[in-house]
Amino acid sequence: MVFENPLLLGAIGAGLAVGIAGLGSGIGAGIAGASGAGVIAEDPSKFGTAIVFQALPQTQGLYGFLVAILILFVFKSAPEWAMLGAGIATGLAGLSAIGQGIASSAGLGAVAEDDKIFGKAMVFSVLPETQAIYGLLVAILLLVGVFGNSPGAAAIAALGAGLAVGFAGLSGIGQGITAAGAIGATARDPDAMGKGLVLAVMPETFAIFGLLIAILIMLGMMF
Amino acid sequence: MRPARMRKLRAVILDEKMDNVVRELHEEGLIELCDLTPKLEDPEWADLLSPSTPAPYIRDVSALLIKTNRFLDLFDSVKSKDEKGLKELLNPTLPPKKRITFSSADEIISYGRSLLEKVETDVKELADRLNELEGRINYLQQLRRYIEYLIDLDIDLEYVKSGPYTYVVVGLVPEDKISQLKERIFSTTDNLSEVIEGEPVITSENERKVAVILVTLKEYRDSVSGELRRSGFERIDVSNLKGTPKENLEEIDREIRECKGEKENILDRLREMANKWYKELLVLHELLEIEKERAESYTYYGRTERTYMLEGWVPEKYVDRVKATIERASQGYGVVEIVEPDEPEEKIPVMLDNPKPVKPFEMLTEMFAPPKYNEVDPTMLIVPGFLMFYGIMLTDTVYGLLLTILGLFVWKKLGKVSEGAYNIGYILTLAGIATVIAGIITGGYLGDFLKQFLGFDIYKTPLALVNPLGDSLYIGESNPLFNLGSVSINNGPIAILLFSIVVGIIHLFIGLVIGFKENLEKKGFKEAFLNQGIWLFLIIALAVGVITNTPCLIGGAVVVVILLCMVKGYMSGGILDAALGAMDITGFLGNVLSYARLLALCLATGGLAMAVNIMAKLLGESIPVVGILLAVIMLLIGHTFNFVMNGLGAFIHSLRLHYVEFFGQFYEGGGKKFCPFKAKREYTTVS
Repeated sequence: MVFENPLLLGAIGAGLAVGIAGLGSGIGAGIAGASGAGVIAEDPSKFGTAIVFQALPQTQGLYGFLVAILILFVFKSAPEWAMLGAGIATGLAGLSAIGQGIASSAGLGAVAEDDKIFGKAMVFSVLPETQAIYGLLVAILLLVGVFGNSPGAAAIAALGAGLAVGFAGLSGIGQGITAAGAIGATARDPDAMGKGLVLAVMPETFAIFGLLIAILIMLGMMF
Repeated sequence: MRPARMRKLRAVILDEKMDNVVRELHEEGLIELCDLTPKLEDPEWADLLSPSTPAPYIRDVSALLIKTNRFLDLFDSVKSKDEKGLKELLNPTLPPKKRITFSSADEIISYGRSLLEKVETDVKELADRLNELEGRINYLQQLRRYIEYLIDLDIDLEYVKSGPYTYVVVGLVPEDKISQLKERIFSTTDNLSEVIEGEPVITSENERKVAVILVTLKEYRDSVSGELRRSGFERIDVSNLKGTPKENLEEIDREIRECKGEKENILDRLREMANKWYKELLVLHELLEIEKERAESYTYYGRTERTYMLEGWVPEKYVDRVKATIERASQGYGVVEIVEPDEPEEKIPVMLDNPKPVKPFEMLTEMFAPPKYNEVDPTMLIVPGFLMFYGIMLTDTVYGLLLTILGLFVWKKLGKVSEGAYNIGYILTLAGIATVIAGIITGGYLGDFLKQFLGFDIYKTPLALVNPLGDSLYIGESNPLFNLGSVSINNGPIAILLFSIVVGIIHLFIGLVIGFKENLEKKGFKEAFLNQGIWLFLIIALAVGVITNTPCLIGGAVVVVILLCMVKGYMSGGILDAALGAMDITGFLGNVLSYARLLALCLATGGLAMAVNIMAKLLGESIPVVGILLAVIMLLIGHTFNFVMNGLGAFIHSLRLHYVEFFGQFYEGGGKKFCPFKAKREYTTVS
């Protein structure tokens, strides 16, 4: 194979997983945190709520960390290109945290005005996490060895699967913006929840395309 | 599976008996009153009825309410901070309820008057004195600040007064204007004046100012005043003071101390009074609020010369009770009519009516939107799916136990005083149990804690069915579950993924069947088939195709479905919509794939728990002595964090699967919640 030490590509994958996902989570948590600071300035008792909303965009960073640990400690025998693909998938999809941060900050603003909307704001804020979950999903599938027996260079296709779901995961940013708008609409009219969800789920279509292509690539490798 | 059926109740009641009827209905709390005012705009109704005004006792009640609030505010302001210990916070007790036997507003008004009188005689003098003292302390503190500025001027303030021929003022001037001011004054007064300056001081507004005493002849008073105004002079009134500023400061400090001492004394006595009266005032406050609500309810009724007419919604199962109540309370001087709902669906209030074990889950339905009157109430359907998804996503026996304990605590302790906490606690308890079951199946005990620290690999024993991160005794490389086409289900993640997708398809299928039935009843077969039937067909074809292993059947079904979607799009809006319709299948695919999050989150919990264990082990092994301590801290913090993050995540993602994927097939919501005319009693009881 290209590299003698299989963990070399794995290490790059682990780094990308933590690094890119951490970038997304950092920006997302920053956006949510700025809104949180504003809310706390008005009402210090909202500290707990602010923390919860700021925690949402941090999960992407955790997924990145998780995949890094999986690559380095658990699936050490997985094909090296799969490791790199898994890292890229989780890392890029983790950028959806930026969108989640936007949605969370809108959610926090709405909850600061009206406590009762907490549950609804939470549901909307968690929508842009789907992309990160798809990234994590593909990473796991790659690592558990759907490529186990593929010969040589064909395994590089794993990179394609990772890129597909990873870049498609950037749709999370758009979804976050829609979700933030839908939170505003729901705060004004609670009955808008159902329709707001339909609109906010729309950008997810592209994440599904990405996931689909990733799965097709993986299936193609197996047959 | 539908919200409670409603009936419209109309009653005409003799005016003498009306108050009694209102009272009894309010205590019973089973009817939602309708406002008749819009109806009275109809000339036909207006001939029969005229609008009614609030009951006459509302004025007395409101006046007493204001007074009660004033005393409550006073007591609130003096009460020492209620030391609500941690114990009380964690295990709140309900306030004792006082039994009430009043039977009319007048009785409550006269009781309120006499109670407030008693409170007033006890409190009035103290409250007045407290006000006075607070005013005095404020004045003294203000004065003290000014005199502090004059401290450099060592002059007996008694002499700083205008005499028969002289004009004397004391005050502060901004430092930068002092020399200019002096010049001006000397020139306007022909040098017949004297200005004494102190050292510059920094005032409370953070400006540098200088204290000055200005002496001049009386006839220059007006021109000097003008100059002073122009330079921003701030006058200090010392006309009642004697002695030097220093002596005055001591005097003022002594007086402030005295006033504060007396104030403490009064506050103590007010606190005593608060202990004596506070609870009774709370009771009175509640009684008055209830009376006020009753009095105001009269604006909802219509009236004739000698009768009132009321209209309201009553759940069908309570109709007989409410009817009997009205007949009893009006002693027969009332006519009750009960009719089927005669208004459009959206005007009929919605009361969810589920058996007790499911009732707390209504919270989840209402968080989305209460159903419309003629819609399915999805609460029952949420319960099994929600608990199962929650269990799969958290999947850890120890986390599940923790959650069960937490849920029980919230349900049994905090739930006593808060309905929201009761519901959440109940849901979390059940979710915790589901998590324990899922945890045992997947062999998760704080992740792989057993293997890392005790060297016990549960997946090599028959104790765990499936390993989310690899092979187990039952499902593994050497022992595949079965082969699906050419894909071998030979490890944990793939098995769980397959399970998630199958569960998702079944879940969607249930939603689609309900939606199909609903549409069939309301809009006919065509709508039902186009909206739900297509997908039902696809799912059935998929199942048959997989079982009989005929991929071409599935392929054919997909083509048929795409064509049908295009037809549907064409029917709703022409060629463009037909093209868009072809994309509908990706939406369906998205719904199914969305359930794959069950695997991802299931693995995330176990994986992060494992990461915590690995880090703790590294810490413990690489650092001597303190390493073990650090490892324990790492375990505690790490697992708590993982538990909270994934516990929250499992809850919301479970909800999402219901709100987006499941409800999308059949549920819209948007009904108006049933809001009964009911007395809120927290401190009182009538039974």
